[in-house]
Amino acid sequence: MLTAAKNQLRVCFLSIKYNIMREMVNKVTFLTNVAFMVLNDASILVQWFILFRLRDDVGGYSLREVLMLWGLVAASFGLSNLLFARVLSLPNLIINGKLDAFLVQPKNVLLGVLTSETRISAIGDFLYGVILVCVCRPGVGGFFLFLLFTITGAIAFTAFALLLGSLSFWFVRMDILQNQMLMGMINFGSYPDGIFQGAARVLLYVLIPVGMALWLPAHVMARFDGKMLLAVLGYVFLLSVAAVAVFYRGLRRYASGNLMEARL
Amino acid sequence: MFGSRRKPVEGALSLAYGQGGGVRNMPWRKYAVIYKSVLLENLQYVANVALGFFTYFVFIYIYIRLWGYMYRSPEELIAGYTKEQMIWYVMMTEMLCFGANANVVAGEVARDIRGGNIAYLMNKPYHYTLYILARYTGEWSVRLPIYAAFAVLIGAVLVGPLPHFRWITLPVMALCAVLGITINAVFKLCISLFSFWIEDTTPFQWIYNKLILVVGIVFPVEIFPQTLQPLLKLTPIYTVCYGPAKLVVDFRLEKCVEILAAQAVYLAVGCGLMFLIYRKGVKRLYVNGG
Repeated sequence: MLTAAKNQLRVCFLSIKYNIMREMVNKVTFLTNVAFMVLNDASILVQWFILFRLRDDVGGYSLREVLMLWGLVAASFGLSNLLFARVLSLPNLIINGKLDAFLVQPKNVLLGVLTSETRISAIGDFLYGVILVCVCRPGVGGFFLFLLFTITGAIAFTAFALLLGSLSFWFVRMDILQNQMLMGMINFGSYPDGIFQGAARVLLYVLIPVGMALWLPAHVMARFDGKMLLAVLGYVFLLSVAAVAVFYRGLRRYASGNLMEARL
Repeated sequence: MFGSRRKPVEGALSLAYGQGGGVRNMPWRKYAVIYKSVLLENLQYVANVALGFFTYFVFIYIYIRLWGYMYRSPEELIAGYTKEQMIWYVMMTEMLCFGANANVVAGEVARDIRGGNIAYLMNKPYHYTLYILARYTGEWSVRLPIYAAFAVLIGAVLVGPLPHFRWITLPVMALCAVLGITINAVFKLCISLFSFWIEDTTPFQWIYNKLILVVGIVFPVEIFPQTLQPLLKLTPIYTVCYGPAKLVVDFRLEKCVEILAAQAVYLAVGCGLMFLIYRKGVKRLYVNGG
């Protein structure tokens, strides 16, 4: 059992490694993608400097707390796209019958699919998030909390994408729904939760996992609370279990596209 | 019976492409035909436009909540804008961004060059860049009015009517918006044309997009420090986002003339750059063999 898990992890690691090596063939493009993504993310800081010139707080957050939140969103999104970028094109794989290549492999289907693509610009997102949080000087404990929440955020993002993408086993055009909901998650998550009130706030904690995956961790990073930490871990675990269950349930309905193609 | 009839677009194309010397007499007609064919094609998929409403609504909802928080009282002015004007400003700039999304065009050009498809397109009896612009105009001509209607609906329901809005100024605003959209497309095309030299121009598009977003879409120029404002007025942002949205929320004749003049200059300079980069790039393509 332990050996099988170890082998599986090794396969995943090698898959990601070769994805990155493939992208590094053209070094200039690789470095430009990473560096410009850091610059691209950093340009949003202008928005916050302008807003904090107008008021001392935005939605109850200080500038430092907003930057920590931004760092967490960027690093979580970056890590998810670095390790599991294929989840974003899962509807395309399902609709076009391209899962066959993964089904015949003697390893876990889901992990094989998820780790089969890496977005290089995601390295820039991840680096930007880490740099931003380091600039905010969270302390050693705070930094480890940030790393933990980056991992839970990346898992929550991937699980949510997997859940929506797996609906393609039943319905068409789920790629659009997946894309819009994920964009919604990033956009809402980039702003302090204090500006959202009432039903919208409830929806953002329940329907779109912005609250539990990003806002609550940001609160824990600002003021440590053990119960909140457990709530985040529990929520991410349940979301992941639900997403995996829906994927395998849907996989039973999958019909091969009889598509002959080589994966290099 | 039906087989002998030519479709209107096909007929127009053959006329534009040279029967009876149509091209020489009216060189713009072929682009009008390309525009028309793309417009008709896009009209078949009007329902697809609605699929993008959710993301647009999310953006607008966030800014309504954000500016609702930033304004302490309904009478407060920030950079000379009331809360309603500030939200309507963002709604207009976002509407232009979503309704006339130039990312698809920029991506298409970069793919054409990288994939070698440009070798076929450059031999056609039109200028490649103008062909792309004509196609793009046909696409947003369907999308933008739908987004405009949706924006007005959201604004009327969630924000309230725009104070001091005069319907009589609408044609000038529309002209300003069309010029702004075209200038944006020309600059994005210029960036994509650098694919002749570098493999991937996407990172440069990110930076351009983010500059437009942060400096032009989210905030009006007046919100930036006084020292930066003259500098920002020299950038494309002034003509692409700020100009059209400013005229909608606070129309003034002298401002309108200033913005239109700036747009004319930017369009001329942008087109000049576009033709120059294309000419240089095509020569390089010939050297590389496609």
